[in-house]
Amino acid sequence: MSGTLVARGLGKAFGDLVVLDGIDLEAQAGQVLAVLGPSGCGKSTLLRVLAGFEPPTSGEVLLDGRPVSGPSPQRGMVAQAGGLFPWLPLRENLSFGPAASGRPAAEVREVVDELLSATGLDGFADALPKQLSGGMRQRASIAQVLANRPPVLLLDEPFGALDAQTRLRMHEWLLELLAERPTTTLLVTHDVEEALLLGDRLCLLSNRPATVVDTQPVPFGTGRGRAVLADPAFVQMKAAVLERVLAA
Amino acid sequence: MSAALLEDAVVAAQGDGRPSRRGTRWRRLLGFVVPLVLLGLWQVVAEVELLSPRLLPPPSVVAEQFWVFFFGETGTLTLAGVVPFTGAGGDHLLSSLRRAGIGWLLAVGVGTLVGLMLGLSALARDLLDPVLNALRAVPIFAWLPLALVWFGIGEGAARALIFIGALWPVLVAVGDATSRVPRSYVETAQMLGTPRRWLWRKVYLPSALPEVVTGLRLSLTLAWTVVIVGELSGTTSGVGAMMNAARESGRTDQVVVGILVFAAVGLVADVLLRLATRRWVRWADA
Repeated sequence: MSGTLVARGLGKAFGDLVVLDGIDLEAQAGQVLAVLGPSGCGKSTLLRVLAGFEPPTSGEVLLDGRPVSGPSPQRGMVAQAGGLFPWLPLRENLSFGPAASGRPAAEVREVVDELLSATGLDGFADALPKQLSGGMRQRASIAQVLANRPPVLLLDEPFGALDAQTRLRMHEWLLELLAERPTTTLLVTHDVEEALLLGDRLCLLSNRPATVVDTQPVPFGTGRGRAVLADPAFVQMKAAVLERVLAA
Repeated sequence: MSAALLEDAVVAAQGDGRPSRRGTRWRRLLGFVVPLVLLGLWQVVAEVELLSPRLLPPPSVVAEQFWVFFFGETGTLTLAGVVPFTGAGGDHLLSSLRRAGIGWLLAVGVGTLVGLMLGLSALARDLLDPVLNALRAVPIFAWLPLALVWFGIGEGAARALIFIGALWPVLVAVGDATSRVPRSYVETAQMLGTPRRWLWRKVYLPSALPEVVTGLRLSLTLAWTVVIVGELSGTTSGVGAMMNAARESGRTDQVVVGILVFAAVGLVADVLLRLATRRWVRWADA
């Protein structure tokens, strides 16, 4: 299976402001790497560099061993605000990617229909984004990117603006979705619970300029859901990781 | 999962929180009350001859002239020797519409092109902004003498003035709207695989459209306003030419007919343009 994303010695500076300082990380094919760090440490910048929106000042990004640069459907990114175009009905938003790459209309239709039902948005194909709730919009934004079948999915705090209950439902939904279509996922978040719930591995960043402090596996296995929140081992690890984030 | 997803589906289906249309419909009728009252007052003032009919002809006379203007026997009355009146309404109106339409379309074309340049290129903005802002500050009447010298009395000068008058709203709206298209839209489109050469059509244009449409409406109103300036510059056809000739002949009633024609056409054009573009800008409605 392809889709291994590697950052090697990645650095990024804006003028004198060094944001990323020699980041080394590896998102393994089909797994979720949760990148956790204190607020303002440069997590979003890291994701923007990986997505190709910003060129790195040093180092390189490799997808399956080949260096990549510039934005591409190979690395689908969902920002915190989502990526839906407000002037397009939902169906056209989801078709945007496949249609831009010139895939045949019938195939686009099939892919979009499937995603609409996977996101529980079947009845909203003709709705405009503003007519959807926050949770629906974020699901649709992820579906919009997945329509291109990218080997790598980059998520920048995609559920950060949602209320706690909706967020938990979104977590379970995303786990289910990724189980059905394994996609290498790099999830940037400041929420320890989110990182432990969704991540197969955890990558801890320091304060700015960000470096990788530690990478460790998350031992809660696949098929996890809200039940794991009450697991004493989960609670304990959450507290320990939170301590490290605050100390970073 | 599906039960959870259904919950927020219900929230979303509850509409966008706007007041019901039934309340607004009968309130819209209120808009007809003031004109009717004004019309009644006007008739009374004219009836008791508070003002001389030469200053304020009664509505009944104006209505009669309105009828004669459009449906009277052609050629029985010619104003100031050259401008036909009876039965000439349709021709005058068509020639005014043609003039305004040509000037407006020219303005839309040039305004969109230059506006896009300003919106998409910082270099173009730095080069052109000061000049355009200075030219924009020139009142439309100030162009009249120059237009007369360059294009001669008549059609050319009229079109040039309409073009200049209608140009600025389009140019400014297109420039502003495209320069303010959020970068995130452009990035998302590129990330989804949109080639650079399609970005303006897939992202910039639709994103800017609501503001551009507002500019187009303003520009259409201005084009229709400037028609009269253009037609005062010495054309022998057009509603403005008729009004000018009517004034020279002392026919205030016919001048008022011209005003009514302008008002009606302006209103209808704006409504038509709004209906025509509603589908594209629905997403931006508050």
